[in-house]
Amino acid sequence: MSQIIAKNFNLYYNNFHALKDINVTINEHMITAMIGPSGCGKSSFLRAINRINDTIEGVTTTGQINVLGQDIYNKKVNINALRRNVGMVFQRPNPFPISIYENVAFGLRVNRILTKKNMIDIIVEKSLRDVLLWKDLKDKLKKSALNLTLEQQQRLCIARVLAVEPHIILLDESCSSLDPVAVQRIEELMLKLKDQYTIVMVTHNMQQAARISHDTIFMLSGNLVEFNTTKNIFSKPIKRETQDYISGKYG
Amino acid sequence: MGIMNFFKPILCTLFFLLCVSINACTQNKQVNTDVSIKIKGSDTIVNLVQMWTEQFIEKNPSFNINITGGGSGAGFAALINKTCDIVMSSRPIADKECKLAKYNNILPVGFEIGRDGLAVIVNKNNIIDKLTIEEVKDIFTGKISNWKSFGWEDREIVVLSRESNSGTYTFFKNKIIRHNNKSEDEFSTNVLMMPSSQSVYNEVCQNPNAIGYVGMGFVNNNVKVISIATDIHSQYIAPIPLNVMNNKYPISRPLYFYIDYKRDSAVNKFISYVLSEVSQKNIIKAGFIPAKLNIKT
Amino acid sequence: MRKIIDSLTEKIIFICGMLSIVFVILIFSFLFKEGFSFFKHFGCIKFVFGTLWYPTSEPAQFGILPLIIGSFLVTLGACIVAIPIGIMTALYISEIAPKYLRDILKFLVELIATIPSVVIGFVGMIFFVPVVKLVFKVPTGLTAFSGAIMLAFMAIPTIVTISEDAIHSVPCHYREGALALGATKWQTIRRVVLKAAMPGIIAAVMLAIGRVVGETMAVMMITGNAASIPHSVFSPVRTMTATIAAEMGETVRGSMHYQALFAIGLVLFVITFIINFIADLLLETKRK
Repeated sequence: MSQIIAKNFNLYYNNFHALKDINVTINEHMITAMIGPSGCGKSSFLRAINRINDTIEGVTTTGQINVLGQDIYNKKVNINALRRNVGMVFQRPNPFPISIYENVAFGLRVNRILTKKNMIDIIVEKSLRDVLLWKDLKDKLKKSALNLTLEQQQRLCIARVLAVEPHIILLDESCSSLDPVAVQRIEELMLKLKDQYTIVMVTHNMQQAARISHDTIFMLSGNLVEFNTTKNIFSKPIKRETQDYISGKYG
Repeated sequence: MGIMNFFKPILCTLFFLLCVSINACTQNKQVNTDVSIKIKGSDTIVNLVQMWTEQFIEKNPSFNINITGGGSGAGFAALINKTCDIVMSSRPIADKECKLAKYNNILPVGFEIGRDGLAVIVNKNNIIDKLTIEEVKDIFTGKISNWKSFGWEDREIVVLSRESNSGTYTFFKNKIIRHNNKSEDEFSTNVLMMPSSQSVYNEVCQNPNAIGYVGMGFVNNNVKVISIATDIHSQYIAPIPLNVMNNKYPISRPLYFYIDYKRDSAVNKFISYVLSEVSQKNIIKAGFIPAKLNIKT
Repeated sequence: MRKIIDSLTEKIIFICGMLSIVFVILIFSFLFKEGFSFFKHFGCIKFVFGTLWYPTSEPAQFGILPLIIGSFLVTLGACIVAIPIGIMTALYISEIAPKYLRDILKFLVELIATIPSVVIGFVGMIFFVPVVKLVFKVPTGLTAFSGAIMLAFMAIPTIVTISEDAIHSVPCHYREGALALGATKWQTIRRVVLKAAMPGIIAAVMLAIGRVVGETMAVMMITGNAASIPHSVFSPVRTMTATIAAEMGETVRGSMHYQALFAIGLVLFVITFIINFIADLLLETKRK
């Protein structure tokens, strides 16, 4: 049900052909990593899954991506509902310049999921607990979110996504601006979340992919080169390019 | 932005060139002239003096005469501060100003250069065409505030005056509001203070509720002029040149030039031109009346 | 050699910076000197709360309450009109308008900003004042309302250009973050973009208020200048700035009237100072 299925998917930035005929089925309730050198299209593909690419001028697509049983590039799709179900955590922590509480409640309010104050309170607390921030922040909920540490900010961004109870979470190199200890803790968090959510993460860091993902997609210049279990990709890749990338010949 | 970016610098350059060339032209002019006279004061007679000046310069091209308005008070202030040569004034110099002038080593001398009647004007649609001085006063002090008091429609009267730095204001206040300084009354605070006679005229033109006063030079067919009587027993007199000259019209006044006693010959030459028979005849064209002492028409 | 030029440039910049401070101090002390001796003679309370303004009568009356209320009414009216329109225009230009329209709009708004206030006053006097009289069935169109609308017209370009800058510089990741949570475009603008741009928008509004409070020529031409306490926005009002401008030319240096005009200047100075202070306070609490 929570599978992501791409069928002959192409994406163009004006005349630039950024994704070429992507065909893949990403499994539910596990972590799938996307690796590849810079500019290979892995971020473009990730951003195509919640159609956040639409905000960039000059983007056109062909083919399909099926999420939660519907083709999200169909004209009838409600983009806001789609994005509510497909949460995204960005590369740099981007909490809004409002209070911590309002950051977490943001998705509930804009989607009108809950309106009663005490119900929102419960969800905010639950989300912050899930990302292990509650203990530290429960007395500072009214303070601006911009005063938190980078790690706290990124956790808050994850909590913000969890609050609207999505089915899929996309992570776009979400650990790249954090220190190693923070990275480790976020990874633990992701392992904890994978039973409830389908997680797709783009990463620059092959070790990270090897550590926590179940499946791995390797991409190169807009092509999906290889998709397999992480174990297979790293131990016995089928394609020559994958082999070269894994062994550090480029990238 | 493409087109804008392309045109902006061109426009700027053109504008700059225009400024430079205008500047160059004006500078050329100044180089060719020898004598300069600065005249400042009453807005009422700026146009009149402008007309005289043009005629004067035609005959004496070496003169450069600079005229600015601002009100009689501003003119006297300028004479006292030594920033002008001739004050055009619609009132005699005040004692205070005279003292200050002497304090600054200036001895003001006045010439009557003509006469002016103040016309009380209303909109063309107004049915009222005559008022006594007392009635005019009641309107301007706010005692009467609706046209129905005069048998017209129920309309709030919009009263227009000049700013307090205008000679016209002072004259009107002394003559009408204070009956030649016999009372302490004031303009109502609801009176609209207009920055120029032109703006009083404009508002009266387009507002049926308005009443105002301007120099007779400003009157034309687009507004209605009120005939004035000293009291209810007297005759109502229209503000026309004849009535001002024979002293029948009650709101009339002399107009003056004031200069420093130690003026130079250029100023003398201009003043004698102004007082000449030709100039005094031309004064009628500008809507004023010749100075009584100097000329018969 | 390069070191000398370096240190010289530094000194010149330092002097320029200092000069502006010196100017402010000079202006203030000059205002204070002339204004203060007036307060000593006439009395502060009588000046600020007096309701009669007859500066040239004998004895003269210097009560500026009607002028303060006049300025306040015109400024408030202008703000009520200009702030929403200005901010919405800025939002439209930077968030919604297609690129070609954005450039044209920005150019036009900047063009409006360059129109001299006399021209705006003149246009208002000839075209707008009769319309106000006709539409609102008031005795005269020379009212606080007309002045406020014309001033709003002058304040809008200031608000638009500066808040457009502020909105435009809101980082893209705020917008993406909000959209990714399912927010609509309008929700994103209202709940995130506007909040992030708020300091810049407040600065824009403050500048605009400054321009409106200090504006002279246009209000002198269209507010009627009657020094009475207005009973509605459709009454003629006289503002403090118009009073100074209209009467300064006639006064003799050092006279009571002259000093009274400086005292008005001092009151204006204090008022704008308070407004700026409040705005700073607002921004400060927002940040916490």
